[in-house]
Amino acid sequence: MTQTPAAPSPEPQAMPLWRRLLGYIFDVRVLGVLGQIGFILLVVFAVRSISSNFADNAQRLGESQFICRDGSFSYRCAYDFMESESGFDISDTMIDHTNTDPYWRTFYVGVLNTLKVAIFGVILTTLLGTVMGVARLSDNWLISKIALWYVELMRNTPLLIQIFFIYFGVILTAPELNEALQPLGLPLFISRRGLNFPSLQFTSSSAIWIAFLVLGIIQIQVTSVILGRREERTGQPSNRLQTGLIAFMLIAGLGWFVSSAVSDSQGLLVTKASRIRELGDMDKLMLQRTGANHLDDLAAFSEEELDAAAFQICALDDSSSETNLTRQLRKMDIPYRIRRYEVPDKAADNYASGKCEMFVASKTILAAERSTLESPSSHLIISVKEAPIVWSLPAREGLNLVGGGRMRPEFVALLLALVLFYGSNLAEIVRAGILAISKGQNEAARALGLTEGQRLQLIVLPQALRVIIPPGIGVALSLAKDTSLGIAIGFPDMYAVSYTTMNQSGRVLQLFVLIMLMYMLISLAFSVLLNWYNEKIKLVER
Amino acid sequence: MTTNSELTTPKGRTIGRGINWKLFMQDNLTGSWMQTITVLFLALVTGFFAYGRYEALPIATLVVLGAWVLGIVAVVIGELFHKHTSLSRWLKENLLNSFSNSLLTLFIALVLVSAINGIWQWGYVNANFNPAETTPEFRSDNGATWGVLWGARKLLMTGWLEPVHSWRVWLSLGFILTMWALTYVTSRPALKEKLRTVRKVLNGFWLLSPVVLYIFFAGVPAGEYNIRGIIIGVCVLVAIYALLWSQKVIPFNWSSIVTTAFAWPLLYTIWWFIGNSGQFSPIDPDKWGGLMLTLIIASSVIVLAFPLGMVLALARRSEVFGIPAWLIWPVAVATTLWGFTTTPELLATSRNLVEQIMSFWPLLILAIAYMIHQVFNGNIVAGAGTTFIELIRSVPLITLLFMGIVMAPFFSGEGVSIPKPWLVIVGYTLFSSAYMAEAIRGGLQAIPKGQYEASDALGFNGSQKMRFIILPQALRIVIPAIVGQFIGAFKSSSLVSIVGLFDFLGINRSIVSNPDWLGLRLELYVFMAVIYFTGSSVMSAYSRKLEAQLGLGDR
Repeated sequence: MTQTPAAPSPEPQAMPLWRRLLGYIFDVRVLGVLGQIGFILLVVFAVRSISSNFADNAQRLGESQFICRDGSFSYRCAYDFMESESGFDISDTMIDHTNTDPYWRTFYVGVLNTLKVAIFGVILTTLLGTVMGVARLSDNWLISKIALWYVELMRNTPLLIQIFFIYFGVILTAPELNEALQPLGLPLFISRRGLNFPSLQFTSSSAIWIAFLVLGIIQIQVTSVILGRREERTGQPSNRLQTGLIAFMLIAGLGWFVSSAVSDSQGLLVTKASRIRELGDMDKLMLQRTGANHLDDLAAFSEEELDAAAFQICALDDSSSETNLTRQLRKMDIPYRIRRYEVPDKAADNYASGKCEMFVASKTILAAERSTLESPSSHLIISVKEAPIVWSLPAREGLNLVGGGRMRPEFVALLLALVLFYGSNLAEIVRAGILAISKGQNEAARALGLTEGQRLQLIVLPQALRVIIPPGIGVALSLAKDTSLGIAIGFPDMYAVSYTTMNQSGRVLQLFVLIMLMYMLISLAFSVLLNWYNEKIKLVER
Repeated sequence: MTTNSELTTPKGRTIGRGINWKLFMQDNLTGSWMQTITVLFLALVTGFFAYGRYEALPIATLVVLGAWVLGIVAVVIGELFHKHTSLSRWLKENLLNSFSNSLLTLFIALVLVSAINGIWQWGYVNANFNPAETTPEFRSDNGATWGVLWGARKLLMTGWLEPVHSWRVWLSLGFILTMWALTYVTSRPALKEKLRTVRKVLNGFWLLSPVVLYIFFAGVPAGEYNIRGIIIGVCVLVAIYALLWSQKVIPFNWSSIVTTAFAWPLLYTIWWFIGNSGQFSPIDPDKWGGLMLTLIIASSVIVLAFPLGMVLALARRSEVFGIPAWLIWPVAVATTLWGFTTTPELLATSRNLVEQIMSFWPLLILAIAYMIHQVFNGNIVAGAGTTFIELIRSVPLITLLFMGIVMAPFFSGEGVSIPKPWLVIVGYTLFSSAYMAEAIRGGLQAIPKGQYEASDALGFNGSQKMRFIILPQALRIVIPAIVGQFIGAFKSSSLVSIVGLFDFLGINRSIVSNPDWLGLRLELYVFMAVIYFTGSSVMSAYSRKLEAQLGLGDR
């Protein structure tokens, strides 16, 4: 060992100037600062050399990468290509998208898909993780063992295998669309084309109704404040929440009728000759056609007779007007047949050629299409009243399913796998959080006579939440990032869409910068949101 | 809600000894209307489900029902007459402790039976185990075709590696197993002291094992004996030695410095000799595949990410004296002003708002200077570490892997093509090291401040403090987290299949497209899941054992 302690240094004053200067230079802090400056210079130098290397290679490998529209080479034209036509279709879109849209819109569709999976994933994972974490501590041996095995199995196998397994092994082995499973007779259809489920369709009058709802919420606040003041003044207790909620429901109900009554943006295009002037005329016409005295008598008619008498209606794909109209017709027991078209002019052509007697759509579309007909004045647009929100139920029609919402199999598989995998991670966190609560709290809760459910809900979970949230944020972030695995089964999330764009355009660097920034943004947004929540529920320490 | 205000026990009819019937019903059924509804609902669902299962699987359902009824009878008898057997007591405590729990138990048992039956039917009863009969005409509708696992075993294990090289895979397997066996034997308490030198040699071999395995798997190209390389290598090793010595982390003695100086020439000569003997001819890493590639990637990442993560963690927590503000701001302002000379031209040629904003890029320099000064107190080391860790952690692994593969040609020199596995390992190591750094940082933060202060008081310098006081304690604390990272690295290495490597998961693309095994995905996925599950479980079991050995729980 040669680690002898340094000899005591002589008094600084005794040293000559040059030694003192040397002492300053070889001070560990000065050396440290010099080292750090050297590090910065090194980084700058490395970046310069990499970027010059990159510039060389960019010229060599893909000069087209930075070509402007006028043909010149400039780095600022890096993202110009994003404005050109993408030329590929996306299977799963939340907003309208065609292959003639620019790359920007394609990318936007991808971002929305990523967010869709991430948000639904986080919500469902929270539910599953909490249930499983509580189940791990259940006093039923069977339940706790099953939860244990679920957690072990999910945590010890790769997420990617789970995604593949669920996609290829579970979802793609479901029956074909025409033999779709319908559990318990509910309007839910499970097939290898995905999951069809009832959905809510917002019609054009929903804006008015939502305004009423906002009004109702404001009203709750106001009522609460007013009642609170009165309570302070008079000491007379009042149930603020109950009063507020009842008033809210009144306002919402009123809004429903008002918005239904004032809405007139949906319409039906009919010929004057059809003798229909308003929706109420349709049943009279039907009675005339069939020769029946009452619409109830139609039940006795045969299938062919009904088919002959049914109104032939043209509609647009996935339009709320159609859902709204057919709902009202069904209510009146009027038989109808629907033909759906992707674009309005096709529907209008078929209407004009007499393939259908009516054309239902929004009034603006109808007005535009009527003007293209041969004699516009002989065609009427009658208003169709509508509720602000209509249920759209999926139903079999031939070999297909129409109406309702649909989740594509890729989405279902990705969501399910992510939720199952991260649910197991969260279950462990929840379990640790619950176990972190001191035994005394549980005993006190039992001593107060709370039931097990109340103990969990009122005593355990609120306290456990403080322990659970910080690592839970990590789970949510990982989930948001792992939506990128959707590319393995062809779910068009941001990463998959960018990957296709890269292959088509050859622009790799630009898109990488873009996706990295987007992921950073998403991570940041998630962590800011959840950290804010964490701050809110954190125990205020003195 | 139960009425808790009653102080006296409600009077109820009692059966047997000491069972209060009224209280019993109150606990189980009539306590609150929610409870009643729950129990009734559960009973209804269970009844319907049991009936449905009875029609599908009469015998198994009857057996379950019978066992359940017997269990209840046993528990009831035990309760009434206070004569519990150990079985009935266990049943009462774990499965049948209330109405709702008893019903749940039955329901779950029935679900389990039908699930297990389904798996059993698919995996064994209807399955075909013959490796020769894997083509579609031999497959049953709802049974597995396990023959594919044996038929495709070479692909699964080593991918597209040429069969001439398979002896090297066996050799490396033998090497690793021998090393493990020797380590296990020599670390037995009885032999631990006697075989100290053997253990030292073994440790040396463990240190060298990455190189040995590299030689086995990648081979050594023949080449000229490079004197310059030897001299540089020796200088680097001696310099590291000198640095560690000057930091007083290792003591100075002649034998160790001579060993250090001679290690490099010796190893280089062996390397050169192996290369020129042609025994271990180079193998193209792009030919690697199957479980072999998965293990190579996972273990390389684990081995590389750990030290890198430690460096990053120490960097992030470093407390070196930062660059003072009087140095940062003048330089930053000067650079910014210099940068603004380009702004007028950029503004003049800009085409849209984004480019107009981008013309003011020198403001970024000010922002960075502000960050360095305000957030990191001028501490570049901590700043760089934090930035790196946070950047890496905010993007998905798959983008890093893909970037490694796609972007490498853009940044490397001309004509250089690096095999995909190396690129993937680099991308993955960067990713993993950021997470490793966070795990280790957790350990560093968990060390009480007193430990730092005590080592300062003892006159330790920074390196000594870390080497002898902080790290040994911190690493011990974070063993579970680090092993978690290792398991994660092992599992997530399956992601390389997305970027086109034929690892254990990726190779099944080749297998299922083979006409013999067309579409036999499920069997392969099940097999892979079993392998991954076993590997991960072994690692976590080892971690628990290590924790127990180090007595973590006892503190």
